[in-house]
Amino acid sequence: MSTFVARNGIGESQRRVEDFRFLTGKGQYIDDVNLENQAYAMVLRSPEAHADIKSIDASEALALDGVLLVVTGEDWKAAGYGTIPTKSGVRKFKDGSDLKEPPHHAIAIDRVRYVGQPVALVVAESLDACRDALELIEVDYDSLPSVTHQSEAIKDGAPQIWDDIPNNICLDFELGDEEAQKKAFEDADQIITLELVNNRVTATPIEPRGAVADYDAETGKFTLWNASQNIHANRDTIADAVLKIGKENLHHIAPDVGGGFGGKNGVYQEPILILHAAREIKRPVKWINDRAESFLSDTHGRDQVSTVQLALDNDGTFRGLRTETVGNLGAFCGTVGPFTPTGGSSRTQGGPFRFDAIYYTAIAPFTNTCPLDPYRGAGRPEGSYQMDRIIDYAAAKLGMDPIELRRKNLIPESDLPMKSPMGLDIDCGNFPAVFEKTIEISDRAGFAKRKEASEAKGLKRGFGVCMYLECTGGGPKEEAKVVFRDDGKVELSVGTASTGMGHETVFAQLLAGHLGIDMDDIEFHQSDTDATDIGGGHGGSRGLEVGGSAVTQTSREIIEVGKKIAAHRFDVGADQVEFEEGRFHVPGTNHTMTISDAIDSQNDPDSLPDDLEPGCMNISTVFERGIISIPNGGHACEVEVDPDTGTIKVDGYWVVDDFGTIVNKMLADGQVMGGIAQGLGQALMENIVYDESGQLVTGSLMDYALPRADDMPRMVIDYYEDAPTQKNLLGVKGAGEAGCVGAPPAIVNAVCDALKEFGVHHIDMPLTPERVWRAIQDAKAEG
Amino acid sequence: MYDFGVKTPKSVDEVKTALGDSDDGQYLAGGQTLIPVLKQRLAMPSDLISLARVDGLSGIEAGGDSITIKAMTTHADVAANADIQSAIPALAKLAGGIGDPHVRNRGTMGGSVANNDPAADYPAAVLGLGATVVTTEREIEADNFFTGMFETALDEGELITEIRYPIPEAAGYIKFPNPATRYALVAVMAAKFGNTVRVAVTGAGPCVFRVPEMEQALTGNFSPDSVKDGMVPADDLNNDIHASRDYRAHLIGVLARRAVAEANG
Repeated sequence: MSTFVARNGIGESQRRVEDFRFLTGKGQYIDDVNLENQAYAMVLRSPEAHADIKSIDASEALALDGVLLVVTGEDWKAAGYGTIPTKSGVRKFKDGSDLKEPPHHAIAIDRVRYVGQPVALVVAESLDACRDALELIEVDYDSLPSVTHQSEAIKDGAPQIWDDIPNNICLDFELGDEEAQKKAFEDADQIITLELVNNRVTATPIEPRGAVADYDAETGKFTLWNASQNIHANRDTIADAVLKIGKENLHHIAPDVGGGFGGKNGVYQEPILILHAAREIKRPVKWINDRAESFLSDTHGRDQVSTVQLALDNDGTFRGLRTETVGNLGAFCGTVGPFTPTGGSSRTQGGPFRFDAIYYTAIAPFTNTCPLDPYRGAGRPEGSYQMDRIIDYAAAKLGMDPIELRRKNLIPESDLPMKSPMGLDIDCGNFPAVFEKTIEISDRAGFAKRKEASEAKGLKRGFGVCMYLECTGGGPKEEAKVVFRDDGKVELSVGTASTGMGHETVFAQLLAGHLGIDMDDIEFHQSDTDATDIGGGHGGSRGLEVGGSAVTQTSREIIEVGKKIAAHRFDVGADQVEFEEGRFHVPGTNHTMTISDAIDSQNDPDSLPDDLEPGCMNISTVFERGIISIPNGGHACEVEVDPDTGTIKVDGYWVVDDFGTIVNKMLADGQVMGGIAQGLGQALMENIVYDESGQLVTGSLMDYALPRADDMPRMVIDYYEDAPTQKNLLGVKGAGEAGCVGAPPAIVNAVCDALKEFGVHHIDMPLTPERVWRAIQDAKAEG
Repeated sequence: MYDFGVKTPKSVDEVKTALGDSDDGQYLAGGQTLIPVLKQRLAMPSDLISLARVDGLSGIEAGGDSITIKAMTTHADVAANADIQSAIPALAKLAGGIGDPHVRNRGTMGGSVANNDPAADYPAAVLGLGATVVTTEREIEADNFFTGMFETALDEGELITEIRYPIPEAAGYIKFPNPATRYALVAVMAAKFGNTVRVAVTGAGPCVFRVPEMEQALTGNFSPDSVKDGMVPADDLNNDIHASRDYRAHLIGVLARRAVAEANG
């Protein structure tokens, strides 16, 4: 089937070309990678939250048939490997001193600091032999006091996780104008204060983390197949900083990756351990986490406690915003970890609303828990939750209408472009128009009738909105390389990483659309350090914004070269050649040349002008984004609450997003729906819980609740497309994270609206049935 | 998993022989609990004795005043059975709400009842409907069958062959699913047989139990209003991250009222 894409590939809901492969079991995930003579590895994980390792005796394990190697901290010390560094964008305390970064080795040395930390690696002929060996390793621990909650960790006298880090504080942070904020608060009529918990969650991708490592003793080169979202940057860290083998000696590949959501962004210990093991035993080594290990060892997300204060006048005008956050980091600095509660949560403070001043501060302490790192949104969901919750809370306290309160304070289009009080460059958008469209599609007129129908069933119906503003992130540079092969196929390699989002479709769609070639002829390559020189991977909703722009830029350069080839054939100047829908032509003449003609000519020196070499249309370019874009949008939600049990049903959901240009609406819808599902999960059920002794209570899907298809409402998704950004070549504003930026506050606002007759104005996430029921009981008791 | 042997007897007699021949044999019915337990190395049987090929252990028979379900009948077959749907719709509903389609098509009634998971659905049906558990050795009344958390009156090697459910005048089953597992956080079966009422609660305590105070109140008047809050004290109920014992005690009242309302149609 031939697929021709019009309008430069923009605006068509092309069906996902990768899905047939995924749905018919043809995907290449880590467990599908099997090398000849491969051995298997499993990790012995710490059962202690905080303990000194007195001794490790692996002699019985090593004596087992089939056991090839046991690696411990002692081996690591002897090898002299480096630590895994954090790449946090914020690295200084408020007073200018450096962030406190404890040594993060790939395996515990002398002490363990969270349950699940790798203590030993076992390598054997089979997984069963690994399991038998794990049971025979004897570790003598000397338990130490532990602390898991960030607010406890910073208190004087709390257990010290690192001897030289007082009060366990890795970093503190401020952004905004404190003096101006204080003045705004003094001038304002009202100050409303709300304590908020942003609950700890984990990504639970359907494919657990895993890797296969291979070592070639003759060349000294390593190959690592790794379920990772960030192949190039992590190669540099693993090869240069940790193993010290030189990045040119590590070929890093992520085949198909089954979901990441930030949880596969960072550098993890296990792939490093198996690279070491592969060199030791001179055989390929494969390791795959099971689900229980994933809960223990995949980086967690969110986990912030905040005090939010909104200063406003009696007429509802916002004056100032003040947020103080304590964000849990876990036992070590994650790859981006310290950035999330500091810089990551600060930038979008205030949302799309007008303020005289905003001031944000944060403290980021260590605790005896699994390290935290980005999770879909990485700070912006926290900021949006703070903003949109305090608005509804203030409205409830002051007897105002939360919709009117938003309407009154939205930044008008005429203020744009502007720099926000947090320094964000807001170039374009129309927040009032997006907000009104959201309200309009959410059928406000029918609400009263639906509420009456709910009431007749003994249920309480509520409506909530959120008007979010976020920003993209991730690496600013991206490479797109095109090679036209002799067999007619076109290789397109991009340094981004799709973990299921559909890059294989949308990038091919763009290239086909720009060049007027057949989409079916395009072979897509990603996440391979041999395929592209650089690669920013996945994160910060960057794929289309940076990767799509790179594909566009490369396409344009290919067309320019093609024009020269056509000009040479027709003996005219290149500036006289135009290109449209796959054809070069010279206006006013009958000279035309198809793109395939030009491609065929590129290897024939006789067809080329003097300044072009054979292969000249095989082009790679690097696009660099200057400034991050500002996606924004409105979420509206209706819920039905059963006051007798506290059960919540999300009964309607409406979204209007400003993602700038929409390249493939079907894929954008998918991003929004998935984001809402994860936002709904966080709002209603997902929660990572550690007990007092630092044991993980939610260590399996029996205790960690994830939303299922029947928890999801029907979603109406629309777009505001009249404000494409000039910050990238496509006019797009990243779509990947917005869904879970908007969903938690919209859902919690709707529940609080449903329960306002009881006097319930806030419940901390997740809004489990018992929490909702208790809030109603407590409010009734208070009268 | 640890290594184990597999035996596939064809008759109940062969089942006994297979068990006798094993050091530490374990019956395998639908495997929806046992297989995950084995995968996590939490059990180490020498042999699995599969009941899948044993003659006569599967099927549903409708009699005049009871319905008999053979032990190896799957939840999906119970849920879809027309006789059960018309005679005891609450039982069909209960079976249709267990786990997910995978579990319902593999999991069996006998396996669930013999396992007696404190949060399983079937124990509420057996106890709430006053069923009779028929084994290779004897008949056991429901009131004497469930003896504690994961404990039953079954002796070593004794195998459930079928369960006989008397057809009630009316019955209702309401489950409040655990959001993570969709096991019963609390579930209530309420059934009326002439002048007798039975109310069984699963999920809330260490083992399925009846609520005599509710049964008494409902015997006088089988109406939701007869069920009052506080008829089950919270003290002995389960208390975990999903629900406190107080909340479970509260839910028992709410769900019992709804079960009676459902029974009354």
